[in-house]
Amino acid sequence: MNKKFVRAMPADEVAPGGMRVVEIDGHEIVVCNWRGRYFAVQRRCGHMNAPLDIGTLDGKYVTCAMHCAQFDVTTGEALSGPVPADFGGESPPANLSGYLEHVGMQMKHVRTESISTYDTKVEAGWVHVAL
Amino acid sequence: MNTESRKKALRYFFEKVVAPMGFKFTPDAELADFLLEQEVILETKHGIPFCPCQPLHHDRSRDMKIVCPCIPFHREHFDEIKRCWCGLFVHQDIVDPDSLPQLPPHEVGLE
Repeated sequence: MNKKFVRAMPADEVAPGGMRVVEIDGHEIVVCNWRGRYFAVQRRCGHMNAPLDIGTLDGKYVTCAMHCAQFDVTTGEALSGPVPADFGGESPPANLSGYLEHVGMQMKHVRTESISTYDTKVEAGWVHVAL
Repeated sequence: MNTESRKKALRYFFEKVVAPMGFKFTPDAELADFLLEQEVILETKHGIPFCPCQPLHHDRSRDMKIVCPCIPFHREHFDEIKRCWCGLFVHQDIVDPDSLPQLPPHEVGLE
């Protein structure tokens, strides 16, 4: 199927080192600016679907705000999975503890997958994304 | 997940942490590559890139002090021996890491 470039956002709305979310035809996409080049990735984390745009972009690496899984925005490749949870040495309340144990058991089976990327180009001051 | 990609990412992140503290990656590229690979293995297993030359105690407060780069937790010692324990990082002026002796803290006047 031929991909079609669609206008996503003005290029100057994503400064170098920044990222911004846009929704086009039902696709949630994060446009990242790495050294003046634009890369577009799926918005949802490859671990547990949290929105990556509330995470951190450092160089070409985005870190999810939810469990700190990391991805390369130029390739979409998953680089690391979640960081283990910690309660700062304190035990959670007993009722919460059981719940967290249950969630932890389920999370052990959650894999961190690479995320989708989209081709981009800049034309007339706008970032275009190929869908 | 791809080990080589993760090694590059760790290198990127670690560089930013150690440089302001006066350290750099060892010029021994083979050693650096080997140690980073071990850290990727440890991260895959534990979720955290622990120092590959230190034992895990399964006590979070102790284990957090050997998360790479562990320089802030042992800086006094590392500054004396101009390297970290495993040798992944050395002082920025070091060109021959093999010339650096590995001395325990009490031999450099610490502890």
